[in-house]
Amino acid sequence: MASNVYIKAVKQISAQQPLCEEWLEHPITYTEPYIGSVEPDYKLFFAPNEARRLGKILRRALLVSRQTMKETDIHNPEAIITGTGLGCIENTEFFLKDLVNEGEELLKPTYFMQSTHNTISSLIAIDAKCNGYNTTYSNKGISFECALLDAFLQMNGGKLHSALVGAYDEMTPDYFTLLKRAGYLGKEGLCFAGETSVGMMLVDNSPQTALCRVENVEICYGKPDWEYLKQCLNFESVDAVMTGLNGEAANDGIYNRECAKWFPQKPLLHYKHLFGESYTSPAFAVYASAICLSRQYIPQHLFAKPETAFKDREIKRILCYNSFENRNHSFIILSICGR
Amino acid sequence: MSQAVISSMGMVSAIGNSCSDALKALKEGRSGIEPLRFLQTAHCEFPVGEVKMSNEQMCSLLGIPQDAVTTRTSLMGMLAVKEALQEIDLQEKGKRIALISGTTVGGMDKSEQYYLDFLSNDNRNAYISTHDCGACSEMIADYFGIFTFVNSISTACSSAANAILLGAELIKSGRVDMVVAGGSECLTKFHLNGFNTLMILDKEPCRPFDASRAGLNLGEGAAYVVIESAESADKRGIEPLCVLKGYGNACDAYHQTASSPDGNGAFLAMKQALANAKLQPEDIDYINAHGTGTQNNDLSEGRAIERVFGDNIPPISSTKSFTGHTTSAAGGVEAVISILALRENFIPLNLNFSKSMPELSFTPSVDMETKKPLTNILSNSFGFGGNDTSLIFSKL
Repeated sequence: MASNVYIKAVKQISAQQPLCEEWLEHPITYTEPYIGSVEPDYKLFFAPNEARRLGKILRRALLVSRQTMKETDIHNPEAIITGTGLGCIENTEFFLKDLVNEGEELLKPTYFMQSTHNTISSLIAIDAKCNGYNTTYSNKGISFECALLDAFLQMNGGKLHSALVGAYDEMTPDYFTLLKRAGYLGKEGLCFAGETSVGMMLVDNSPQTALCRVENVEICYGKPDWEYLKQCLNFESVDAVMTGLNGEAANDGIYNRECAKWFPQKPLLHYKHLFGESYTSPAFAVYASAICLSRQYIPQHLFAKPETAFKDREIKRILCYNSFENRNHSFIILSICGR
Repeated sequence: MSQAVISSMGMVSAIGNSCSDALKALKEGRSGIEPLRFLQTAHCEFPVGEVKMSNEQMCSLLGIPQDAVTTRTSLMGMLAVKEALQEIDLQEKGKRIALISGTTVGGMDKSEQYYLDFLSNDNRNAYISTHDCGACSEMIADYFGIFTFVNSISTACSSAANAILLGAELIKSGRVDMVVAGGSECLTKFHLNGFNTLMILDKEPCRPFDASRAGLNLGEGAAYVVIESAESADKRGIEPLCVLKGYGNACDAYHQTASSPDGNGAFLAMKQALANAKLQPEDIDYINAHGTGTQNNDLSEGRAIERVFGDNIPPISSTKSFTGHTTSAAGGVEAVISILALRENFIPLNLNFSKSMPELSFTPSVDMETKKPLTNILSNSFGFGGNDTSLIFSKL
């Protein structure tokens, strides 16, 4: 029999207050096009100099991972699975700039050593001494979902009992300029470009202490097979749809069109106004939904249309729907744990 | 649970532009490691395993306009996937086909060429979006237009092996009907220089498992296998090439760019692959080693192999002496070489070997003859950060 998959804890560092759910009641709003993360006081968590040696994506990843492990008391997860759109892009840039500007003779190894995408997953494994399954997905706007799908399949199939799944992306001023030129960020109406650091512990047991259950994960390339998805994910009984609405006309047009067709009458939620746009920002959809399900409360500001807001009603199932440039699509069903 | 079988494959590498070219080179003992021809770098002192085609030649072979926005990684990937798919009816309606591709360098060949344009003007904007790993896989997918799921894995030098591992899991889950899995990676100044700063490149042809080994030769290439269930192959009326019998993934959890002295991650990956395949160490007839030719890897991997196989070590070779280290593509390249060896019943040579390592009890294979028919082959792929993966390919 297939095992159930639960999210036991989630920790985040983002444009909102770090390592907490302050955004529920006191969301920080931004008008700038590019926002770095609100950093926690690393001195409280790291030995002197420990954080400084690491690039910002690595120190965030390490901290949310440690906090997630601490909270769940699972210090040696059977798997560490990471999604990242651009990997350690800051170190990559440092090495690339030296290469382009200084030539090929005087380069130093440090930036190169911490430039590969899997540096993140490896660092977490080295830190926690985890010899288990370890992998990294880097697939544009569905990198996180690919990591989640891997963990889900293995746990569902009984191969894994615990997995630390993470989503990490950092942004630099230069890379923001580049992605603006490429037409991905900084567009008219679009929410700010953000950074993602989300770590979550998946387990196959103890639903009574978990935040929510991961019922299913579906990912597709090209046009989704909507009829199949409707049936397989049971759209009918979804209480709300957590969407990637981000204020940009073309992007929002896709969500509005598809949601009107496939989820008529369902309230649409959004999260990118809080956490920004990044390749792995869909991890915040899962994070915010898991928190709402466990607290049985959706704050007003998460509703895309305030008039659709509801309260004092049980929230059983949330569908996280991500359409990346109408090319990659992911569907994640989260539900309350059977208590 | 259904068995995952491999029904076809494709490869471009330093030893040829197809699987049959590669087979010929392997049997003739002809290495593809040569002086640099295509990569523009100051470091022409390092021999490399380049694919012997320019981007323009690859575009012509693929029927792509010369001015199309592509990267070398995606062009090589398209050629290898094309070979892998050549005998498959792609028009079958409703088929769910996944592309799972491993890469780390992605579109870095263009980024390092145009980075100053990226920062200062709009001339090369199209190449900004081809930088990342996902872009590379999507360019390959879009060339064929048949894929319903596209995913990219980036675990450095074990990327393609992990792509094959995930492919098998997806087939067993029943979520897709067919998977094309492997990896592609072109040479770039970025990682040639990166490896050079780590002082692990050899100016001579690499000598895996040799006492005089002094580093690796970088290579490039792309290799993919088509994975499906035994039932699916049966339904299509084809005889699979082999069974993907087992796999293991473990993390060395030791250092970002070095392997642990006792090869713990490698040991665990091989043990898990054997357990997953329900095989004993003595069932393995040949090991296609990761064998990069660096001091660190070959000693660490050698120790791990001794721990798993004890006194009964099967023939071992590192075919990186033919192809160079194709980094993220290596797991795919070596899967294809392993399957060629399995089908043709020969032990690929470990070129350039002359003196055994004093620390190890075994020496690599320098003889293609096999004492018994090959039934099970273990292929190792280890990456930076200790991302270690082992795959087992078996006769049907």
